[in-house]
Amino acid sequence: MTECIKLAPIANWVELKTTDEDWARADPALLGNLLAQMHLIRGFEECVLELAAEGLIHGPAHSSIGQEGGAVGSIAALTAADQINGSHRGHHQFLAKALSYLAPAGIDFRAPLPAGVQALLQRTLAEILGLAQGFCAGRGGSMHLQWVEAGALGTNAIVGGGVPLAAGAAWAHRHAGTDAVAMTCFGDGAVNIGSALESMNLAAAWQLPLCFFIENNGYAVSTRVEEATHEPRLSSRGSAFGIPSWKVDGMDPLAVWLATREALAHMRAGNGPTLIEVDVYRYFHQNGPFPGSAFGYRDKAEEAAWRERDPLELVATKMRERGLLDKADVAVLRETVKEAMRKATAELLEADPDGKPGRRRIQPALWPSPNFRDVALRGDLDELTDARVEELATYAGKIEPRKFVDVVADVMGRRMETDDRVVVLGEDVHKLKGGTNGATRGLTERFPGRVLGTPISENAFVGLGGGIAMDGRFRPVVEFMYPDFMWVAADQVFNQIGKARHMFGGGFEMPLVLRTKVAMGTGYGSQHSMDPAGIFATSPGWRIVAPSTPFDYVGLMNAALACKDPVLVIEHVDLYGTTGPAAVDDLDYQLPFGKAAVRRSGSEVTVLSYLSMVAHALEAVEQTGIDAEVIDLRWLDRASLDWDTIEASIRKTNNVLIVEQGARGTSYGGWLADELQRRCFDWLDQPIQRVTGGEASPSISKVLERAAIARTEEVAAGLAAVMHDKGRR
Amino acid sequence: MATMLRMPEVAASATSATLLAWNKQVGEAVAVGDVLAEIESEKAVVEYPAEAAGTIGQLLLAAGQEAEVGTPIAVLLAPGETTADAAALLATLEADAPATATGSGVEPGPAPVPALESVSTQLAGAPEPAKRVLASPLARRLARERGIDLADLRGSGPHGRIVKRDLEAARPLSAASVATAPSGESAFREIPHSGMRRTIARRLSESKASIPHFYLSADCRVERLLALREEFNANRPRRVSINDFIVRAVALALHEVPEANVAWTDTAMRQFAQADIAVAVATDDGLITPIVRGAEGKSVSQISAEIAGLAERARAGKLQPGEYRGGSFSVSNLGMYGVDEFTAIVNPPQAAILAVGAVRQQPVVENGAPACGSILRCTLSVDHRAIDGALAARWLAAFRKAVEAPFALLV
Repeated sequence: MTECIKLAPIANWVELKTTDEDWARADPALLGNLLAQMHLIRGFEECVLELAAEGLIHGPAHSSIGQEGGAVGSIAALTAADQINGSHRGHHQFLAKALSYLAPAGIDFRAPLPAGVQALLQRTLAEILGLAQGFCAGRGGSMHLQWVEAGALGTNAIVGGGVPLAAGAAWAHRHAGTDAVAMTCFGDGAVNIGSALESMNLAAAWQLPLCFFIENNGYAVSTRVEEATHEPRLSSRGSAFGIPSWKVDGMDPLAVWLATREALAHMRAGNGPTLIEVDVYRYFHQNGPFPGSAFGYRDKAEEAAWRERDPLELVATKMRERGLLDKADVAVLRETVKEAMRKATAELLEADPDGKPGRRRIQPALWPSPNFRDVALRGDLDELTDARVEELATYAGKIEPRKFVDVVADVMGRRMETDDRVVVLGEDVHKLKGGTNGATRGLTERFPGRVLGTPISENAFVGLGGGIAMDGRFRPVVEFMYPDFMWVAADQVFNQIGKARHMFGGGFEMPLVLRTKVAMGTGYGSQHSMDPAGIFATSPGWRIVAPSTPFDYVGLMNAALACKDPVLVIEHVDLYGTTGPAAVDDLDYQLPFGKAAVRRSGSEVTVLSYLSMVAHALEAVEQTGIDAEVIDLRWLDRASLDWDTIEASIRKTNNVLIVEQGARGTSYGGWLADELQRRCFDWLDQPIQRVTGGEASPSISKVLERAAIARTEEVAAGLAAVMHDKGRR
Repeated sequence: MATMLRMPEVAASATSATLLAWNKQVGEAVAVGDVLAEIESEKAVVEYPAEAAGTIGQLLLAAGQEAEVGTPIAVLLAPGETTADAAALLATLEADAPATATGSGVEPGPAPVPALESVSTQLAGAPEPAKRVLASPLARRLARERGIDLADLRGSGPHGRIVKRDLEAARPLSAASVATAPSGESAFREIPHSGMRRTIARRLSESKASIPHFYLSADCRVERLLALREEFNANRPRRVSINDFIVRAVALALHEVPEANVAWTDTAMRQFAQADIAVAVATDDGLITPIVRGAEGKSVSQISAEIAGLAERARAGKLQPGEYRGGSFSVSNLGMYGVDEFTAIVNPPQAAILAVGAVRQQPVVENGAPACGSILRCTLSVDHRAIDGALAARWLAAFRKAVEAPFALLV
């Protein structure tokens, strides 16, 4: 007979309910503040739906009507130093955080609106309408509301996408030694997605002051929570990660406030993350001004039953019972809000001269200028202007041969030494004498707490890095053990980190360095053998550097760490073991921004390459005796590439061979060839030729792997093909 | 035998249907069961399959049009049949009641007419279209810059592409290198054609081959013209030439005989509202004919100045296309080279050109007595399609009158 011992989770999981005593003891000012904030949000949302019904809102308007209790109850308990982020349905949380920021002592529901509230309502509405005066200059709209100053880090249109970023904010609070917390708000639909669950694990493992705030409104669009999970009590998720969790009736703002206060005490005491599930109900469909019942996935009786429990009514009733207000007060409050919204819309809309009477339109002068389209997609690189730049050819100091990988670790150590903000995170970077390849050798010992071995959850930890970068107090250096893992973390890498700066209007920086190593040739097979340059090059927002020598590595890594944009630093396993020129006792210079290196001057063909393929190209040129000009691109992204050097070379040689190692499909050269044929059409004597690997990703079998990748032999063949197509000799 | 395809009854008791799209085009081969078209009734969209194999000879209903059930919509040719068979079948159709397409879009659509042509070309095995010259972008640019015609080069790149090397190989030729002649032949050099040379060759070959030329000559007495010119040029810094007067005389003659100020086109006679006189200018690269526009409204000195400017720009290769394209009449004067007379080739699309020789002193009979006269022999070349002999004679008489009574040229 086997013995079964009942186990219990290490963390508490409770349902918190208010009692009459709680209501009786609640501070009247708190209740008044909750009431006023909920009315402001409700009135705002009603106005949004009205504009949506008039066709004035481009894109979806995800209203939060019915969910005000959860947002206001929780956020009213936060301080201005605490931060939140949210989901596609985030107007209420954004407004609650902004209102608490503007009126830290709470809003007196009888008094005129506090200073700044009228402007807040107008600017929020303007953002939802996509207008220049909005919080994100009209770029973000309804689903990307951000006001960093108020602690609103940005709502997010990818379900669960904001959760890892909030973990980064929480990490920064903890690492900075403050007691501030981050709260990440998401819905029942996001609770089953990897980003959310990975972040719960990571936040718990690292004891981050992060509150996972789940608004369970019962439906992911039309899918019921009971259909989506066998355990619809979503606060149960915390138990799996050792996170104390509260289940609360979100229609009861006081209950939410009380639960949040308990959670805050836990987090501020340094005990790690918390989870609060609030059961709420959106009175309307996913978006737009119609109830969900109109779409047939629920019935009117259910909607009526929830409306009976309206949080605005509940607080008003309880306050009336205590003699804190009368019916007229509520009517006046509601009218105050309506008047504020009338004023806000009057600033943004006007009568449509071409429409029927009563029809409104957006005041044309308020739209963003179309030429704002790509502004602030990246930074202006002002941060690089005063750097000491060096090139090997003109370097005045001493040069010695060094092993590539040693320089990788050395320069990171040097930067961590001179810049306390630099932190390194990734899988196994803290052990194995410098991670799997020695690239972080010695750093753990020298910089305790700043070299973080992560759980294997790329989406969470790179997203956490993104959150740290957005916070700005620290400089995260994230390592992907293999480039292919970017697919695992694609949402955070491309949708979040790459887009954030632009999407939120360009008002902040994203100084993140992502290191990874190409491992073609090591037998790691189809899922560990990609070159990420091509994919990152097509993703606006990222800069890319690819050093081919130790000297360049130092200069490029220093530039990447100084740069306030996300920078991918690509390394190659083949290079780690090589020895090349390095500066003696100098790890502080940068390479000049955006400069390629002509490794060999020639007249017959311009060979464009990077990383380990530069050496293969030079070797092939040597073997074939073809007088090729070999250019080491070094900076690979569209905004950093050395177009001048490349174009000058093409004008000279009239022939181009782009050389890279990896699979053709995700290759780097495709977009570059496209761009160059456009820029240099009249100087090309033949189509741009390319050396790449095969179509499929390289296999593990040594022979098949060799056949799938490019090295010297393939470059030699490519050179011969170019020469052949140049016509008769 | 050719088959008429008719609008099917898509649904029971449907009276008409709409042809949504043709899946086969004229000239396309069709196998049994191939979907020819998509046809829509009120209730359904059906595919219309071929019941016999063949080739689409003609489409009679354009996509999007509605037609009554039974209306002919296409002709299917049996293997080996030609457009003649389709035409024959259509002729029988015309004898029947006309096609009863309903709705407003009764236009047959663009397909039918070219359709028959394309069938015939397919059946007749038409020649391949002119082969495109394959050249790299760089080669094209270099050729343009060096005035080399890519058609003269043989490409050594992939698919015969002309590449930079081929242009470099062509360069010595353009510098007129001496080529070694095959044994038994004298040495020669080959000078590559310039673009201008080729244009002259092509246009004049076309003109001589396709325009029925005829020629009229007249001797003009120019004593008064010469005297007038002397007087006119006295005390003028820039002298006007005989030719300037002739251009003016040509313009006035065209004004007087507007029926001769014409050009032939395939569909109509184009009669010009003003006299745009093209003046032949010899340059190092060859002949070009810039145009004095509206010469009937310009004075001799204006015309003179304008011709001088055009000639200068022509020799510098700086004429704009608008300065040499078009024109209604040309004047070619070889008098300055001592040529007595010559005939010129009509400069298409114009219908006439006047060839002007040198002024000669020669004996003439005046009032029954021999005298010495100054004679200018002019020969008019005419496009007979546009201008008949009598009309040409009338024009030439008007021209001679203007030259011989030259004070009118100054008015």
